[in-house]
Amino acid sequence: MSVHGCQHLSAFKAAKGTDPFRIIYSYFIACPSADARRIKAKSCVCHTCRQPTLRLHACMYCIYFGCYGAKHIHEHAKSKKHNLAIDLTYGTVICFSCEDYVYDKDLEDIARSFSQKPSLNLVNLKDPFSSWEPSEDELQLLKKNPKRRKVDAKSTVGLRGLINLGNTCFMNCIVQALTHTPILRDFFLADRHTCQMPGESKQCLVCEMARLFQEFYSGICTPHIPYKLLHLVWTNARHLAGYEQQDAHEFLIAALDVLHRHCKGTNGMSCSNPHLCNCIIDQIFTGGLQSDVTCKQCNNVSTTIDPIWDISLDLGPGPPAFSSHSTPSPGGTGFTNSPGNYEPTSLLECLKRFTRPEHLGSSAKIKCGKCHCYQESTKQLTMKKLPVVACFHLKRFEHSTGYHKKISTFVSFPDELDMTPFMSSSRNDNNGFSNQIIQDMPTSLSCDNK
Amino acid sequence: MADLQERKIKDAQMRATINQKLVETGERERLKELLRTRLVECGWRDQLKAHCKDIVQQKGLEHVTVDDLVAEITPKGRALVPDNVKKELLQRIRTFLSQQSNI
Repeated sequence: MSVHGCQHLSAFKAAKGTDPFRIIYSYFIACPSADARRIKAKSCVCHTCRQPTLRLHACMYCIYFGCYGAKHIHEHAKSKKHNLAIDLTYGTVICFSCEDYVYDKDLEDIARSFSQKPSLNLVNLKDPFSSWEPSEDELQLLKKNPKRRKVDAKSTVGLRGLINLGNTCFMNCIVQALTHTPILRDFFLADRHTCQMPGESKQCLVCEMARLFQEFYSGICTPHIPYKLLHLVWTNARHLAGYEQQDAHEFLIAALDVLHRHCKGTNGMSCSNPHLCNCIIDQIFTGGLQSDVTCKQCNNVSTTIDPIWDISLDLGPGPPAFSSHSTPSPGGTGFTNSPGNYEPTSLLECLKRFTRPEHLGSSAKIKCGKCHCYQESTKQLTMKKLPVVACFHLKRFEHSTGYHKKISTFVSFPDELDMTPFMSSSRNDNNGFSNQIIQDMPTSLSCDNK
Repeated sequence: MADLQERKIKDAQMRATINQKLVETGERERLKELLRTRLVECGWRDQLKAHCKDIVQQKGLEHVTVDDLVAEITPKGRALVPDNVKKELLQRIRTFLSQQSNI
């Protein structure tokens, strides 16, 4: 399969040049204008059977279109001895004498020049798909590294253990979850990060993440020792330094924050308006949490939307809904286990509780913006915008008057999660709600929050 | 019998008209691009590419022809297209047709 065509094509080119190819290509394959498209629509039919069949071919010697399936072009080639034709779908040339398609460098150059013209903008194709062609540098790299690895269904590429460096399991489990988040993995393996700290790449946590992805997907099976990552985290998030047990959720938030900062290249200051940030962390993890406070007097609703990276869900016994007393008292709330007991045991129940309207008692009166009086109010949280990857944080750590207790209730979560009932649009009783189904819970960790 | 013939002719005419409309408005190109994107996303392209490589290795690089490859991968390719992709394309075509007032 060379790019020098065949002897028949060379003979044709010597006799007639590349113009026949160019003309046919420009008229029927890469139509540069609406008029050309109209001509193409009318004339792209087989001359023998008058049908717009697939795999139509145009004879290069005369004006004849023939379909391939019914062999009309073959008959034409044999009877007229015109042995070269162009496939009108892809622009490839078939030589009937050689009985196969042939590839010629000159013709491919012509074809490429057409695909780069602005004709595609006319049909609104801004970024059409094209297969990857290696650049000169990449060709050199490929020649120097001849080893190839095939990833099939059974390969374990990407799975690697992490050594515990002294109570660092909180970090290890978050790192495992992040390295297997498909969107994040694709970003790093496609080398999309440009370091904002040139010359100090060792201090950049995002570069360290990129190196970590390289380690994970290198195919090495022995456990990895993430000491550089740990050191960078200690430097950038002092509260996590040391060898005590830490909270995995805190680590996740601290890591996302540092990655977000290092993506932008600022030193120390977080982006004050997260809505304007376009770094990969914000694109993936940021969602919008809507908080509606309804004044009981005038029913005025004051709404705020906050950007959040995770959804923190309460566990354990909780207050009932719509209690008229200011102090919470036991009552039924409709959870599945039993009327009197309202401890959530599944993710859906946690979310129901999270989005339930909460009556702010008389001790928490808020001045209403509309009627300007201190009134009791109801507060409700709903999701305005879902993140691409949702992190659910189960608050197993109960701060209760000075003592630390861990809630070990088993919380089940489904394979597919429909967030429609928890969206702001459901609350507003919109008819045009969109189904936002999160499949295959992307980040599901069960780790100890201490 | 004549009825069936008539039906066939009408079907063929309808097909030709629809195809013409699709090409004129550029919708055919857009649909092709959409299909291409979806098939790349779901891994269909990679699967078929791997299968093609196997066939070429089996038959030998110098002896395999495009027709051989087409014959071998067409049934597999048709079977591997996911249902949701088919549905999405059909929906797009239906929408397009409903917007055309003169068919």
